[in-house]
Amino acid sequence: MQEMRPLTVWERMLAIDRRWLYLTLFVSIIVFLLLPVRLPAVISPPVRKFYDAIERLQPGDIVMVSSNWSASTIAENQPQLEAVLRHLMRKKVRFTLMSVEAQSRDISLRLANRLAKEFGYEYGKDWVHFGFYTDLIVAIKGMTNDLPATVKQDVKGTPASQLEVLKGVKSLKDYKMVIDVTPSSTVPYWISYRPKNLIVLYCPTSVMAAEAYTFLDSGQIEGMITGAKGAQEYEQLLGIVGLGTRFINGIQFSHVLIILTILLGNLALFMQRLSREA
Amino acid sequence: MWQIDTTTLSGKVSMALIVLGAFVLAFGLIPVLQTLPPRGRRALIAVVTFLVGAFFAAEFFMPLTQDDKNYLTPGIQPAQNALQIIGSLALGLGTYGLVRLHLRNVVQKRGQWGYSVVLLIAFVTMATFSIWNTLAEKRILARTPLLDRGFSLLFDYTLIQLDAAMFSIIAFYIYSAAYRAFRIRSIEASILMFTAMVVMIGIVPLGAYMSEQLFGLPREVPPNAHPFSLEAILYSLRLPEIADWILKQLNAPVQRAIEFGVGIGGLAMAIRLWLSLERGIT
Repeated sequence: MQEMRPLTVWERMLAIDRRWLYLTLFVSIIVFLLLPVRLPAVISPPVRKFYDAIERLQPGDIVMVSSNWSASTIAENQPQLEAVLRHLMRKKVRFTLMSVEAQSRDISLRLANRLAKEFGYEYGKDWVHFGFYTDLIVAIKGMTNDLPATVKQDVKGTPASQLEVLKGVKSLKDYKMVIDVTPSSTVPYWISYRPKNLIVLYCPTSVMAAEAYTFLDSGQIEGMITGAKGAQEYEQLLGIVGLGTRFINGIQFSHVLIILTILLGNLALFMQRLSREA
Repeated sequence: MWQIDTTTLSGKVSMALIVLGAFVLAFGLIPVLQTLPPRGRRALIAVVTFLVGAFFAAEFFMPLTQDDKNYLTPGIQPAQNALQIIGSLALGLGTYGLVRLHLRNVVQKRGQWGYSVVLLIAFVTMATFSIWNTLAEKRILARTPLLDRGFSLLFDYTLIQLDAAMFSIIAFYIYSAAYRAFRIRSIEASILMFTAMVVMIGIVPLGAYMSEQLFGLPREVPPNAHPFSLEAILYSLRLPEIADWILKQLNAPVQRAIEFGVGIGGLAMAIRLWLSLERGIT
């Protein structure tokens, strides 16, 4: 019977049980999330433009916030939405929320309720939630033609015509901007069907951001906050410590871990080949 | 001409009659469709699809007057209301299918029918509290402590946590897959890996920290510096600047090319759907 050759260190590394990898990542995320060290963010141009666009708003202007994310992307979209709503409330801007994601209706409503209490924002007067829509294109086209007729009522059942926040608003043309917080590719619909005077700001998850650079380049999107990392930059501009700032250590050191592991895997492959040739 | 004023009595009566008529028509249409031969059914669906598609296309392409409207624009709102209703009906149909399937699993005690029981209990409980919560928001039903606690327990502390946890598991699979699959076997793979690493580090604060502390590159460039001055060149070698350049100058054109391709494909598919040429649509 042929005797089994003991595995070399490199061969062991290449055949490592994936559960060890999972454990390494898990420990890394936990340790670096708890690490009190905070590195300052470099503000990327899309985040700076996003911030500047909201800074240009005047008190009383009205903004549409399209919140279309569910709990699966909460780690990226919640820090974005929270930072953006805080900025809008600081600027005393009126805003209306809507969702084409069923879960997001409740998540965004509860989040906005919590922040509204903090900033003294009154529901119905300073902000309102229009609820869930099954089709975004239909909703945008309808609101562009006649907003109250499309919306009909808010989540509390108040008719759109009686909402103080919509005073003087006939359609989306009366809005200053739309902010799309989403992990899905909904922003092309806003770009295509919005009234042309409406500025589009975008808060995608990190994985969706690469697709949006073409719209940023053309000016169809004025600014973008990329995932939790973008939220950290935005929080830094606002001078607050929010979820993005708390999450960034976990994110950046996970990146480092992934890079180191890939390099280690390649080193192991290289050494294994060398030992075979020898 | 497309809108009905529901604040008046006559408007309310007209609306009620229209709703009743639509209800009778919709439920009357199903047996009529069933009696039609397959070819007739296909023809009917193709005609309706073509007419509705033509309406939306004509409204979009027809010239606008000064108030950004054309002759067809007022008809868009009712058409869109109908689309919203159809979308909602599709949700209802999906729910009906799901419940029917799992009820059958339980009644016939098929394999792993216990999971179907869990699904049905979870479905009924969540739906009850969710509908109750929505009605309480609209002040149709009273908001009680049971509702607040129950909805919060089910939504905030169960559904959201489970959903977030399930999605976060992907990170572990990606990590394991990256370790096994990202091998330098060709020049292309090496370029891809190096680019990915630069972007991954360049976009996070650690990239700036490493550029300044490890490589000694400047934090900023003087405003009046020449683009080819040493400071400007050193500044552009920082990891965040390289990552930004990759995203803007390499990624964006490629994405644009892909989107052009997808757009043309989407247009062709839309025309095929509109003309009912796509197999299986009717």
